[in-house]
Amino acid sequence: MDLFDIVFYCFALIAVGSAVVVVFSRNIMYAAFALLFAFFGIAGLYVLLQADFLAVTQILIYIGGILVLMLFGVMLTNRVVDVDIKTGTLQIVPAAILAAVVGGSLSGVFYSTWSTVSGTPSDVATTTPAIGEMLMTSYILPFEIASIILLVALIGAAMIARRKT
Amino acid sequence: MEFFIISVIKIVIVLLIILTVVANLVYVERKVSAAIQNRIGPNRVGPWGLLQSPADVLKLFIKEDIVPSTANPFIHSLAPVISISVALVTFAVVPFGGSVELFGHQVKLMIADVNIGVLYILALTSLGVYGVTLSGWSSNNKYSLLGGLRAAAQLISYELSLGLSIIGVVMISGSLELDRIVEMQSGFQWNAFLTPIGFITFIVASFAETNRLPFDLPEAEPELVGGYHTEYSGMKFGTFFLAEYANMITASSLIVTLFLGGWQFPFLETFGLPAMMATVVQVLTFVTKVAFVLFFFIWIRWTIPRFRYDQLMNLGWKVMLPLALVNLVITGGLILAGLF
Amino acid sequence: MTGVEDLLQTTPLLIVSISGLVVLVIDSIFRNGERLAFWLAATSLLASGLHGLYGIGETGTAFSGMLTTGGYADFCAALFSLAGFLTLLLSRDYIGSRTTDRGEYYVLILFAVAGMILMASAADLVVLFLGLEMMSLCFYVLAGFTRTSFAGNEASLKYFLLGAFATGFLLYGIAFLYGAVGSTNIDLILSSASHLRDQTFFLIGLSLLLIGFLFKVAAVPFHMWVPDVYEGAPTTVTGFMSTGGKAAAFSALLLVFAPRLASQIGPVREVIAVIAAVTMIGGNILALSQENIKRMLAYSSVAHAGYLLTGVVAANGSGSTGILFYLAAYTLMNCGAFGVVALLESREGGRTSFQDYSGLSKSSPVLAGLMALFMFSLTGIPPFAGFFAKYAVFSGAVAAGYTWLAIIGVLASLISVYYYLRLVVLMYFSEGEHPVPAPVPLAYAALLAAAGAVLFLGLFPSTILDLTATFF
Repeated sequence: MDLFDIVFYCFALIAVGSAVVVVFSRNIMYAAFALLFAFFGIAGLYVLLQADFLAVTQILIYIGGILVLMLFGVMLTNRVVDVDIKTGTLQIVPAAILAAVVGGSLSGVFYSTWSTVSGTPSDVATTTPAIGEMLMTSYILPFEIASIILLVALIGAAMIARRKT
Repeated sequence: MEFFIISVIKIVIVLLIILTVVANLVYVERKVSAAIQNRIGPNRVGPWGLLQSPADVLKLFIKEDIVPSTANPFIHSLAPVISISVALVTFAVVPFGGSVELFGHQVKLMIADVNIGVLYILALTSLGVYGVTLSGWSSNNKYSLLGGLRAAAQLISYELSLGLSIIGVVMISGSLELDRIVEMQSGFQWNAFLTPIGFITFIVASFAETNRLPFDLPEAEPELVGGYHTEYSGMKFGTFFLAEYANMITASSLIVTLFLGGWQFPFLETFGLPAMMATVVQVLTFVTKVAFVLFFFIWIRWTIPRFRYDQLMNLGWKVMLPLALVNLVITGGLILAGLF
Repeated sequence: MTGVEDLLQTTPLLIVSISGLVVLVIDSIFRNGERLAFWLAATSLLASGLHGLYGIGETGTAFSGMLTTGGYADFCAALFSLAGFLTLLLSRDYIGSRTTDRGEYYVLILFAVAGMILMASAADLVVLFLGLEMMSLCFYVLAGFTRTSFAGNEASLKYFLLGAFATGFLLYGIAFLYGAVGSTNIDLILSSASHLRDQTFFLIGLSLLLIGFLFKVAAVPFHMWVPDVYEGAPTTVTGFMSTGGKAAAFSALLLVFAPRLASQIGPVREVIAVIAAVTMIGGNILALSQENIKRMLAYSSVAHAGYLLTGVVAANGSGSTGILFYLAAYTLMNCGAFGVVALLESREGGRTSFQDYSGLSKSSPVLAGLMALFMFSLTGIPPFAGFFAKYAVFSGAVAAGYTWLAIIGVLASLISVYYYLRLVVLMYFSEGEHPVPAPVPLAYAALLAAAGAVLFLGLFPSTILDLTATFF
């Protein structure tokens, strides 16, 4: 248990703990806040794993972009805080079985690969130039497709949101 | 451990300096505005009114802290903290001098030598939205909410041109490290001259990001009372106040670092000064440049009227964003032509 | 490095996506650009389709191994383009009479086709996923394109929520596979399948990927969204979703699972076989009790997914060529069937129940005749294309030792005779009053072309079967 481990567990605890709050919170505002901390926890893990670019992008896009939009939605919805957002629980038995199966197999995977994954990442310099290089050479096609997908999403959103003609 | 101690010392020193400067900046602003409006300004507390700022701070400290009964107390208290932290933490990556040999340690004159400094700045600016939006929402007051929403829309709109203007600089220097960006601007190769359009868009976007006139729509007094901090009093209000000025300082240092040569004194290396002296000159250069930009901020505020909200949005999306993109194209073309 | 030759190797993708962008610009610049936009979109889809049919190139890779080109990819691209082309012709008047924003419709169709082409030519799971997303996003919007209709909104929202959920499975699966293999390259993943087959990590990834695909092709445990979405969406869009969308999902499924299914990833094959059987039985039985034509066609499309899955299970040349032939035939006959429904549908979305079709042969004999032809073909009655399609996939299954699956398929087809022919009987042997639909030259041309092609493929199936046999 060295410093790396301690920091890792701290961030992991923040991420997982906040995620639990997101799911179980009855107030949508608090859920959104917990999501903020979950994102931060994950960004922290990225930093710890030397993925600096990823960490900053996580903050920039998820916290600075997506979550702000979600908060907007929450704030602009009238009296949304008073509404109990949790719906009733249906189909408890099938859901429990499914959750048990998925959870069981995932922990099985986790257990079986536990020893094969090495702990600390190798010391690498900044990842940004390498990522940029990849995006412009071997991953140029996915990069361009992603931009077209965003365009399609924009068209779609504008279509749906437009005033009735 | 050594690294840790040095960092803590740097943090404490820089924090103290910034907080002192903030307090006095308010005084300066009041004096400058008085001069612009042909008044005298504060002159009662202490010689030339110099103790006005400490008096104000003291007043804020002992005022009653009012939280509206319908407000959300937790978020209401959290919001000013977010605002001030974002403003102060951004400063961590700004280099205010080269590196210096102190007591046998090589010390870089910046708090955190992050190798993706520029991205770090962008990420933190994007967090600035939270302070204003949450304060506006948690107060449970329509003026606050409107102010908060306006602020958020404004910040998001101008963040784009802010980021795009920085990219021009990054293209020229080929690095995301602020240290390296400053080193590249030796002599008079300042980025302000290399990408003039980017410089202008960055300054305008900085004004919008700091919510200063002519972009202070979020707290436009005639329409929104106090905007997002209408329901704040005492030291919480003081914190917002502090955050605004801290933001100004951070924005000025970023303008200096990215576009005006940072701590570089043109052709300093040809003077043959001893290392220690050179460092002092560098830090002084940085401080002077920042002071000039700060004065520019204040000057603009008391000279130009406020925008209307639709004008603000039009400017952001229809002028600033295309300009910033044009800047990228031009810069890219010049780099391709081998001019930089 | 990528360069011009990469672009030239992917001509269909290039044509479709560039014309999508151009149509978007035309639509926003010119006030009356609809006509130009339509013809540009139609021409580019036709060009891309004909390129695939007549200019099938050498197999290769492009964009640093992100795309496969030629052969299989070209054929699928042609198929999707022609599906898009048919849909465009069928929907110009249909959409025009229901909404004013036709420009976006053409753009979305073009981008959906581009996404499908990407799916069929992906050499990397990242590209596959992006193509799938591109197609699905277009479909989410297209499903709710008539914004004033409640059913359309319901369809759009339902499809979006469930589709996003399924995408989550797919992406999670890709993440697992990447974790197990250390690459997202499909060839690399498939070649490591032999020594990773016992690793839970790998198998979980594979099954999550499979679930994602099964949702998109609407196989039985994952078919819940189909009836509501197919019923609520604009009819021509439904036609496109059920043909192009399904074809794209199957071409990707074939790409990822077929090559190694037979030899190496044992349990997955059995699972697919069971799902195929359940899908064939379930889809057909559910279709029996439907009173709405669109819902009936929705369940029938579930059943057809089952027949197609039989070909995937076969995992041999005959099965795979069969699937491609099946997809071509299905595209033609289903587009045609939905096209007829769209022509007869009232503007408010009514006149889609079985009763509304009784005695149709008196008032509109041409439409009734076409519909009957498509129904015969969907049933799988010779000499129409549907018969040879089923024959090809079932014979593939028999050759692979899955005779029981083929028998279930044949029995399930027998059930389907009831509801397909019920419509024909209603149209020809009962009485009813009908407003005569306004003649729409474009749509009639498209329907006649589709019917002609169904007949042609039924009479000369070898034209396509010989071609597709060279891909495997």
